[in-house]
Amino acid sequence: MIAVLGLVVGVVVGLLVRPEVPAVVEPYLPIAVVAALDAVFGGLRAMLDGIFVDKVFVVSFLSNVVVAALIVFLGDKLGVGAQLSTGVVVVFGIRIFSNAAAIRRHVFRA
Amino acid sequence: MNDENKPVGNDPDGSAPDERPAGGPERGDAARGRELPSLQGAAPASGAPEDPGAPQEPQQLTGRQRLAAGLWPPRVTRAQLVVALLLFGLGLGLAIQVRSNNDDSALRGARQEDLVRILDELDNRTQRLEDEKSRLDDQRTELETSSDQAEEARKQTREKEQQLGVLAGTVAAQGPGITLTIDDPSGTVSPDMLLDALQELRAAGAEAIQVNDVRVVARTYFSGGGGDVQVDGKAVTAPYSFKVIGKPQDLEPALNIPGGVVQTLEKEQATATVTRAEKIIVDALRPAKRPDYARSSSR
Repeated sequence: MIAVLGLVVGVVVGLLVRPEVPAVVEPYLPIAVVAALDAVFGGLRAMLDGIFVDKVFVVSFLSNVVVAALIVFLGDKLGVGAQLSTGVVVVFGIRIFSNAAAIRRHVFRA
Repeated sequence: MNDENKPVGNDPDGSAPDERPAGGPERGDAARGRELPSLQGAAPASGAPEDPGAPQEPQQLTGRQRLAAGLWPPRVTRAQLVVALLLFGLGLGLAIQVRSNNDDSALRGARQEDLVRILDELDNRTQRLEDEKSRLDDQRTELETSSDQAEEARKQTREKEQQLGVLAGTVAAQGPGITLTIDDPSGTVSPDMLLDALQELRAAGAEAIQVNDVRVVARTYFSGGGGDVQVDGKAVTAPYSFKVIGKPQDLEPALNIPGGVVQTLEKEQATATVTRAEKIIVDALRPAKRPDYARSSSR
């Protein structure tokens, strides 16, 4: 419950305060958000599976974000940033879908 | 992180028992096949999930129950707080990203090479449009000048038509001039006298002449005899009235010079009267005659 509240508060604060994102971080924000979404879906599924460990969640969340940003950064340096971003988004999308399928089986039993 | 702890066989644990009686007949074969392996593993979990208030063993909670337990009642634990913090960050990033995508154009998130490409495309497009604009401007100028020229040419043609019409006698003419009236009570005025008068007028710069009702043009001829004069085959009777458009100061002396037309006529018992007028109207007309053989050689 607290976690859901955290998400809601984050969205509201982001919409209301409209913080300025530093230009260095800006290209990596969308990828980082997608990576974090993946971690969140994974954590939700683990919770439904009854194997949720907060330490694992924290580590996976942060490492997902960092690694995703790193990949995009590297891609930008190599000149294939757009393609790598697409690749990262595709991979995370697939994982999010598989996790969502597992969650759906738990919640809707179908 | 969850790929490694993906126990596929686990998830239908709780669902299998209450699923079968409820939706069994409608299930497809694939769904049934998926459930089959779970039956062996899930045999002990047949505790009724319909009354969630009485879970016999906490380990055998369904995913749904775990979710409900996590959501309500709220418990402030370390795990919840940490997850809330992370989710706060996620929500923040999500909102910022959505916002920046919304209130700015698509250019905001674009990378450098994309921006350079877009800029190049815009430059090219601008160049093409500028070219097209200058081309169309040229075309417009050309059309304007050419239509001006055509209009000018039409105007000149109309003016020329009027001038030539005056000469050819197809249009009426008016202007300053004189009236020469020759009265011939004794019938002694011969056609060649009238011709002399006409030639004198022409030499003095007459521009349009009419004798009684006959317009005098280049091919005008006089015939007949004294007292019975025909102009262009049409009989005219005394008094002969010449309406002449031209410069009166030139025309009148030309007729009145000693030994000129007037004196010659008066020797023949005829009277000649010359009257200046500011406005002479020459309104006898000739039909325009299209030549049968002669064609303009210009162009």
